Amino acid sequence: MANIDANEVLIDCQSVWKIFGEKAPAAMKAVAERGLSKKQILQEYNCVVGVSDASLQVRRGEIFCIMGLSGSGKSTLIRLLNRLITPSLGKVLVKGKDLSALDAAELRQMRAQHIGMVFQSVALLPHRTVLENAAFGLEVQGIAKAERNRTAAAALEKVGLGDWLSRFPSELSGGMQQRVGLARAIASDPEIILMDEPFSALDPLIRRQLQDEFRQLTKELGKSAVFITHDLDEAIRIGDRIAIMKDGVIIQVGTAEEIVLNPADQYVADFVAGISRLHLIKAHSVMVPVVDYQRQHPNSDIGSLVKTTPEADIDALIGLTMQSDRDAIAVADNGTVVGVVTARSLLAGVKGTPSHEQAAAA
Amino acid sequence: MESSAFADTFDAWTDSALEWLSDNGEFLFDLVRTMLEGFYEGILWLLELPPFFVVVAVLAVAGWRLVNAWFGALAGIALVICALMGLWPETMSTLALVITATSLALFVGLPIGVIAGFLPALDRLLEPALDLIQTLPPYIYLLPAIALLGYGPATALIATFVVAMPPAIRLTSLGIRMTPHEFIELGHAIGITKWQMFFKIRLPFAMPSIMAGINQSLMMAFGMVVIAGIVGSGGLGETIYGAIRTLDIAKSIDAAIAIVVLTMVLDRITQSAARFAKGGTP
Repeated sequence: MANIDANEVLIDCQSVWKIFGEKAPAAMKAVAERGLSKKQILQEYNCVVGVSDASLQVRRGEIFCIMGLSGSGKSTLIRLLNRLITPSLGKVLVKGKDLSALDAAELRQMRAQHIGMVFQSVALLPHRTVLENAAFGLEVQGIAKAERNRTAAAALEKVGLGDWLSRFPSELSGGMQQRVGLARAIASDPEIILMDEPFSALDPLIRRQLQDEFRQLTKELGKSAVFITHDLDEAIRIGDRIAIMKDGVIIQVGTAEEIVLNPADQYVADFVAGISRLHLIKAHSVMVPVVDYQRQHPNSDIGSLVKTTPEADIDALIGLTMQSDRDAIAVADNGTVVGVVTARSLLAGVKGTPSHEQAAAA
Repeated sequence: MESSAFADTFDAWTDSALEWLSDNGEFLFDLVRTMLEGFYEGILWLLELPPFFVVVAVLAVAGWRLVNAWFGALAGIALVICALMGLWPETMSTLALVITATSLALFVGLPIGVIAGFLPALDRLLEPALDLIQTLPPYIYLLPAIALLGYGPATALIATFVVAMPPAIRLTSLGIRMTPHEFIELGHAIGITKWQMFFKIRLPFAMPSIMAGINQSLMMAFGMVVIAGIVGSGGLGETIYGAIRTLDIAKSIDAAIAIVVLTMVLDRITQSAARFAKGGTP
């Protein structure tokens, strides 16, 4: 994750609201002035709150997942990011520009050149070939046929469809169609790709394969992505950071590890309960401080323990423990030992006891 | 009787309105008549220019390419039978009438249909008007047309034009409104302009419906063009009308066969063209 530039925020979503309904402006005003709840707005104004006070920042090179169940407002939120839906209140800045301040031509240009989008429904034009579909974004920008076909063919090559250029969408499987959708989005070379539940309709095996390919491709090309999903496993697999949404509100934003270790509320806790921790929890979260270890094992020589990095996950730690004849592993950051992973702390990490309780138990 | 007094007054009004129109609009109606007949005669001239077997061959090949080899062969044989019955000139003038009236109906109907597809208000306004046109007995259009344009092909063309227009408007409007939502969203997301949205997204999706409208217009025109035999349209319609007046049953059946052959050939060919527009194979 070294290529994420924390200093460059590409999408800055500031306290954005979206209220649907005929009396949406009045309802919005009532929320701002009187702080009505979602339920009160439905009763008094017959309006539905889609997104409520959402703030998030997406940095250059980052894959940002928004996870929520249906009706949580995640699809509305992603459409606010390229103004397919206009916010009722709040601002969305993309590359420092306020989307609501753009005129029609500027907005078109922003969408055409800087923000790609991939849909759950794929939306491939049935009367066009795979190549023509992938080139569609470039075509509407007025790029000459030879050039756009070359660029689109290169994009299709990247998603592994180099041999399918002259086929029609109906001849392709669901997974392949979604690859064409991705190729169409990256053909215009945007910095940001919005993915609206792109893999939800695919079968599990193809889905995993596409998730890995998508992550690899996005990192390789240095793109930023906002990825919507209802599947926490998918969010963890793909996302550098994850936002969890419920009823239009972003409940928690953090890395997968942060969310699994410190769920913000019971809703998130229930969600993460079934998640495999083997690849999520890193050594720095399960290690015990060096002094605690020494107090318990006064005869043990820390210098002779097997060393690993703070980023090693539980799976790797178990492997190291089993290979070694000692029952502890030293965690070293830049040569200095910062903690020790013991068999006990490893088991606590797998089971999910928070690290501070574990330290107290030790 | 009071009701008949009411009817008399209404009829008197209608008559004087028509009279006023034909007196004051004479120049205009003469112009319309000249233009319509000019268009019709131009097309007829084109159809009669080559010998009959060339026209038969063209239609048979079109049937073969667009439908299948069987249909092409059958269409060729059926058309040759029309010629053998001595009805080739009448068949060609009926074809010319249908082509002229349908082209005019499409020329007016397609743009109206497109606009109605975008403006639900216009669509709601057109709906009862189109219902009215389609439910009125077709003869109704002939009398006022005769009053204004006189006896001859121009009157037949106007009446046929009126009857052929509604399906083109309806199905075009429907097609434009039926663009799947996700493709509209796709267009916006990739930064499309309004014109591109129409030509690259809405129109391709509307094409099958528009083609069905064109096919329906053509069929309505065939129905009307026979009825218009009464007003001196020329062609098979007049042959049938003449045969009815002289009780020449054999002749009327000959002409009816020719009409059926011509209608079926054009129906199948345009239907297959519609499937082509959908991107499928014939």
